[in-house]
Amino acid sequence: MSAADTPLRTAAASRRGRTRSRTWLAAVPLLAFIALIFGVPLLVILGGTFSRGGTFSTANLTDSVHGAYLTALTGSVKLSALVAVLGAVLGTFLAQAVVTSRFRALREAILTASGVLSNFGGVPLAFAWIATLGNSGVITSALGLGDRGWSLYNFWGLALVYLYFSIPLMVVVVVPALDGLRPQWREAAQNNGAGAWQFWRYVGIPVLAPTLLGGVVLLFGGAFAAYATAKAMVGASVPLVTLQIDAALSGNVLIGHENVALALSLDMIVVAGLVMAVYLPLQRRSARWLR
Amino acid sequence: MSARTAGLVAGLTIATSMIAACGAAPSAETGGSAGSGGSKAATATSAADLGGLDALVAAAKKEGQLNVIALPPNWANYGEIISAFTAKYGIKINSDNPDGSSQDEINAVKTLKGQDRAPDVLDLGSAFALSGAQEGLFAPYKVQTWDKIPDGQKESTGAWYYDYGGYVSIGCDAKRVKTCPASFADLLKPDYKGKVALNGDPTKAGAAFAGVYAASLANQGSFDDIQPGIDFFKKMKEAGNYTPVEATPATVQKGETPITIDWDYLQASYAKEFATKGVDWKVAIPSDGKYANFYSQAISKSAPHPAAARLWEEFLYSPEGQNLWLKGFARPVLLPAMQADGSADAALVAQLPQVDGTPTFPTPAQVDKAKETLAAGWGAAVSG
Amino acid sequence: MAALTPETLPAPATVPEPGARPGRPRRFRAWRGVILFFAAVYFLVPLIASFAFTVKEPDQGFSLDAYGQIFSAEGFGRSILLSLGLGVATIALVLLLTLPAMLAVRLSVPKLRPVLEIVCTLPLVVPPITFVAGISRVLQWGPDYLATTPLYQTIISVQNPDFPIVLVLAYVVLALPFAYRALDAGLGAMDVRTLVEAARNLGASWPHLLFRVIVPNLRAALASAAFLTLALVLGEFTIAQLLSYQTFPVWIYTISDSQAQVSVAVSVFSLLITWLLLLGLSSAGARQRSGS
Repeated sequence: MSAADTPLRTAAASRRGRTRSRTWLAAVPLLAFIALIFGVPLLVILGGTFSRGGTFSTANLTDSVHGAYLTALTGSVKLSALVAVLGAVLGTFLAQAVVTSRFRALREAILTASGVLSNFGGVPLAFAWIATLGNSGVITSALGLGDRGWSLYNFWGLALVYLYFSIPLMVVVVVPALDGLRPQWREAAQNNGAGAWQFWRYVGIPVLAPTLLGGVVLLFGGAFAAYATAKAMVGASVPLVTLQIDAALSGNVLIGHENVALALSLDMIVVAGLVMAVYLPLQRRSARWLR
Repeated sequence: MSARTAGLVAGLTIATSMIAACGAAPSAETGGSAGSGGSKAATATSAADLGGLDALVAAAKKEGQLNVIALPPNWANYGEIISAFTAKYGIKINSDNPDGSSQDEINAVKTLKGQDRAPDVLDLGSAFALSGAQEGLFAPYKVQTWDKIPDGQKESTGAWYYDYGGYVSIGCDAKRVKTCPASFADLLKPDYKGKVALNGDPTKAGAAFAGVYAASLANQGSFDDIQPGIDFFKKMKEAGNYTPVEATPATVQKGETPITIDWDYLQASYAKEFATKGVDWKVAIPSDGKYANFYSQAISKSAPHPAAARLWEEFLYSPEGQNLWLKGFARPVLLPAMQADGSADAALVAQLPQVDGTPTFPTPAQVDKAKETLAAGWGAAVSG
Repeated sequence: MAALTPETLPAPATVPEPGARPGRPRRFRAWRGVILFFAAVYFLVPLIASFAFTVKEPDQGFSLDAYGQIFSAEGFGRSILLSLGLGVATIALVLLLTLPAMLAVRLSVPKLRPVLEIVCTLPLVVPPITFVAGISRVLQWGPDYLATTPLYQTIISVQNPDFPIVLVLAYVVLALPFAYRALDAGLGAMDVRTLVEAARNLGASWPHLLFRVIVPNLRAALASAAFLTLALVLGEFTIAQLLSYQTFPVWIYTISDSQAQVSVAVSVFSLLITWLLLLGLSSAGARQRSGS
């Protein structure tokens, strides 16, 4: 949208030239807030990461990418990537099913339920799934899954549970974009002889691409940061970096591991930052022709 | 009122409230409310320093409040201890963050220093008591029954002292498990497939860590070597008996974790609670791996209510307090002395889970080494 | 059906349904039903299993006791009021900070747009557990280094347990990406520049412009941002627990030791209540939209 790039020019504004230069001040509170409330703790984390025994040291950082910590980091990345991609795909299908529904009530009900469920996690979520598919769960007993060697408490079971808050989050993100798919485009495609699949491949998905990518990134971040659910359900049997940070910062056993926990936190920030860095240029490119 | 005036007024309001929220710390030192008596109590190292127990009681009553932290009501009967203390002395107790960990307690002391809601007294794992004393966070204080606490179970200047303890035990729901296990070796039996759980991650939860240590003792390990314990849990995981679910009252009631490894005093208190919920909870101390551990009491050096804090310790180490811990199925540190002079409640002693022999404890160095080994190897062991 | 052009009035019997795409093959309707069915099973069965746990009494069979005990459970009222209060404060602060900034960027400093976008998606990069580690260390500066400065009292007062502003500040940071995204979509659909230009040409002052022109057009986006923020605050556990405040999710966790069934009942109940609350708010917003 090239119009957005030229500054607003009205006769009145050019007369009151100072008005234009003052409007940017409206952005200052937000930027100052972030710098203070977000930036200062980050700096503190950096400080803690690079200090050991009161002196500057990169030992924490090196420790945090070896041995058990490295296993945990890769485990977290694997789980989050799986949940992000699966959740994005399933969430998009669900969103499309919701958006094309006849009943407005159903759409509102599912949208608000998605908003609620996307924040449902931790012990209550773990318990709900333990009660369903755990070793003595309702479904497990009803279908006799226990005898067939079923166990919820592994990587795949945790991914199944993580989808519970990831799919709703994707729905919340994608529905506004699906709403923005104008019917005229569909009709135009049909008038040119395109089938449903071709419409989606050449029109629908490219238009949706920035939102879909954004959703994948969001889901990755959410799954990456989660820990209370895993703690209640699988403990250390699925190695996750957030559990280790929690044990080091707020536990009853480990003492003196705080700075390694901060180094692990820095590792998490770097990983998430990398994902973001891949996403932002892609998103900008695909969003450009939407304007 | 025009929009501009409204905006101006709003801005002024926000500005004045922010200025009101600024200000340096009050120049009075620890515990603003206690007045001149406060500073005396803050440095008292025994009741005698204040002129006897009655003077301590008077000073504490003047303070009127006590801040405790991380004391769940059904952990070693703390709920009853708190109400007994309040009933006896009329001092209100503010119980903060009952689910907090020892690390949370230390953090609270540091973060809330100088505030009225900072914790006064702490109940910590022994490793945390040790490190806290090294950081100078505690005020030395010797209770009147100091001499009866065995040596090796208290710090020489009174910075910390053991309070109560228990053994690692195996709890079992007799309604869902035909024969309850009585030892670590039993836990490997195929009847217990998918049934055995810890109360958390051993790198985070003290009882779970103790469980791994006890398993090590049961499998030719020692205080120096926790690896056999880690290997034992690995074997249990491979056999399918170990379930990684965090054992809570909800999971026990649901039947997901019918066998749990936890402190014996907690297990015994669950038995009472579960009886009404269709769970027949039995507690057994494993015959092959006996590991006992005490927690420690400490008074914060920057306690806002120093006299009340010291009175709380005197209460806990009096026969009344110790018996209340006994009622919670915990073994108070003065138990041997109290059994000798007859002040221990015999009925309460009888209901403790049975164990023979006297406990031995690892040294702090051995515990630290065990923790490092565990932190490095636990994940790999149970994620097979 | 495919031959119908948009200008042709459809016959009454074939009025296109809202949201339906013309010419969609009928079998898609079956697909939709299948997807919705599996989604319903996946999302509802665990909740039903939780509910079944809360109503099972060993001797009495079905019993709603656990739900009755919710309201009398100690700390319920206090924690839910605290969470709601924090939610309202967070919504107010996050909208107050983001809306002017986004307007300014769209209207006069488009170069700041990438900066704003990165800044508002940064909170996604730092997990809450890490963020709270940093926050608690900063809070520890109060007693250690800042005791003789005016900032000391500020640090103390933001930690006031009756209304911890520090939580509001943290939650605003967490809600920022969602609020930004919602407002960005709304502003994008609105053609801000034309509206603002027209209003300014007609002599509107900035406050008038903001409240009488921009906000009414953004109602849907503002509502969406508010919902997401409220749901976030009511479900946030990590930061509140590690900073030791008894918000509603933390309270649910605290009572789970002593009252297992009540704790699960509370979480099922709170899900239901939050959903109904958001549903009510969204339908109120819809009625306003159709009315205006």
